[in-house]
Amino acid sequence: MKVLTPECVFTYDGSLDGFFTVVFHAFHDRTEPSAIIPRGANTQIPLGSIIDVDTSVSKATRVRKGVVDRSDNRNVRLLHVAFLTGMPETNMLLWRYLKKLFQHPPGYFFRNMLDEDVYALVQTARRVRKEVHRFQGFVRFQKTKDQIYAAAIDPDNDVVKLLAPHFRARFPDRKWLIYDTRRKYGIYFDAEKLSQVELKGEAFDLTTGHIQQNARAMDEDYYRTLWQHYYEAINIMERKNHRQMRASMPKRYWKYLPEKGANWQTG
Amino acid sequence: MKAKVLKKLNILADAAKYDVSCSSSGSSRAAAAGEGTTKSAGICHSFTEDGRCISLLKILYTNHCIYDCAYCVNRRSNDKPRASFTVEELADLTIHFYRRNYIEGLFLSSGVLRNPDYTMEQLNAVARKLRNGYRFNGYIHMKAIPGADPLLVHEAGLLADRLSVNIEIPTEKQLIRLAPEKDFASVYRPMNQISQQMLISKEERKKYRHSPRFTPAGQSTQLIVGATPETDYTILKLASGLYSQQKLKRVYYSGFVPVNAHDKRLPVLKQPPLVRENRLYQADWLMRFYHFRHNEILDENHTQLDQQVDPKLAYALRNPHLYPVDLDKATYEEILRVPGIGVRSAKIIVANRRYGRITVAYLKKMGVAVKRARYFILCRELPQTSGMIYPEQIRKRLVRQNASAGEQLTLF
Ligand code: SF4
Repeated sequence: MKVLTPECVFTYDGSLDGFFTVVFHAFHDRTEPSAIIPRGANTQIPLGSIIDVDTSVSKATRVRKGVVDRSDNRNVRLLHVAFLTGMPETNMLLWRYLKKLFQHPPGYFFRNMLDEDVYALVQTARRVRKEVHRFQGFVRFQKTKDQIYAAAIDPDNDVVKLLAPHFRARFPDRKWLIYDTRRKYGIYFDAEKLSQVELKGEAFDLTTGHIQQNARAMDEDYYRTLWQHYYEAINIMERKNHRQMRASMPKRYWKYLPEKGANWQTG
Repeated sequence: MKAKVLKKLNILADAAKYDVSCSSSGSSRAAAAGEGTTKSAGICHSFTEDGRCISLLKILYTNHCIYDCAYCVNRRSNDKPRASFTVEELADLTIHFYRRNYIEGLFLSSGVLRNPDYTMEQLNAVARKLRNGYRFNGYIHMKAIPGADPLLVHEAGLLADRLSVNIEIPTEKQLIRLAPEKDFASVYRPMNQISQQMLISKEERKKYRHSPRFTPAGQSTQLIVGATPETDYTILKLASGLYSQQKLKRVYYSGFVPVNAHDKRLPVLKQPPLVRENRLYQADWLMRFYHFRHNEILDENHTQLDQQVDPKLAYALRNPHLYPVDLDKATYEEILRVPGIGVRSAKIIVANRRYGRITVAYLKKMGVAVKRARYFILCRELPQTSGMIYPEQIRKRLVRQNASAGEQLTLF
């Protein structure tokens, strides 16, 4: 075992289990992390010794069980949702939160929203859930020749898995794919079960989110054009209010929306 | 054929846009087979340039109309391009938009073609095609056409998640002036039928779980604001009655857009009365979520909503004896009445104050508008108001702040 300095940067594989494994080690070795960063992340790594932690499901499970024992299942879910921001700040917030949770008697600490870390955690999870809710609306499927409905998304948080249950309930008889072009993986539903997929090559155009022309179903461009016209037609000029439109639908979400994106004219 | 549909879509979406309601909420349908769900929290798929949520494909079946209502773009005396969909075209459009996740469902309205029965029958045929032909479980909001046979309205209620009958003009006298072929009876008849059938259906579903649902998302209506001289008090009183008697889910307020500028019966407006419309929505919000009665918001002596301050603040300024509210002890209802504190914050305060004192910094973090709330709460850290409130000064200060901040049209 490596000798630990009291302040360390931990790296892990980016999964929640990986993160919980880091938490396990930090507790076990009484180390105070100065940062907890996914391996290969594009962030500046602060000074300090770096410890790379291999994910251990059994260690992660022990941490998870500790959380359940001191709070409840909903709280584990809350941690999970907040964790999906993927931000180093959130990881540190979760670390502080877990430390406090384990210091307090079961059932007491986690409901106290006057504690700033509890409050921040609730807010962070709320932000992620808000994005999930937004993308239930902003996902745009395109029909392929093989009758698969495929959509590209580029959300701030890693929400594609949280979107899956909604679309599964909505389209139980249909094949669909929702692909996160930034995180380079997606969820595919084959009309029976969900699976995680990674695509090779340029399945989606990264500026417009379009699938390749030769993969599109015959009627795809037709319905997209109708939709673009519909969007224009229902606008009420007399009530123009760009500020409100942008507040509800920030510009960073526009690129894959056919009615907003750069692809309006070009098809 | 495709170019034809595009042309119809342009005409009939354009003609539908002044019906402001966009919501698709309050119903839940899961797809056991077939496709689609309706979610209880409305999902917005896009937002128009004017900031409204696009949830449903909002469209007219036809913009032909045998009537001539002064406030309407589709009235028969207007010289406009006219179009009608076929049942197949509209069902096809809806289902293909839905599968691409452009929309939550369909909001189908219409001008009156031939007669009310014929029109209602066409709308029903579209819904029937979607429900039975495509096994579509998404959201359907339909207009109940005033004057249509009650049997047709009943069928519509079994197909749709929500029905609406628009009152449009808040008093009968003004309605008849602007729409000589209409009266309140023609609007209230289908509205009352719908609310009664909803009640019956609810009772029956208690006994037989599989008895059919009737407009599970309830009914709504729309009132045009600023086309006629009614006061806000009249409008809120009407809305309050619609919520309590007809059990409406929503009343929508639509600032009058002068679509027929040359009509002498209508006022000349440079702009739709958007501030007034927003104040009405705020007042409506107070009735639905903040336990306010309409006659607490306005009364015979105060008949118009204050354009400068929101209705909750106006209420507080008129009732200084009810403040300041002690956040450590006050009831949830009392906290709800503090300007600047919303439903969510009020709940958090009540749930967490046992852990310690609610500080100003904490209120800010929660999103409470402290610059407004501060005059109405008791709080150690704030300069003592010694329990005395001087409404006029507070008002002046807050109005000035609003002006410099360029107040946004939002809810609290
Ligand atoms: S009946 Fe409806 S569509 Fe026809 S003119 Fe009146 S408001 Fe317009």
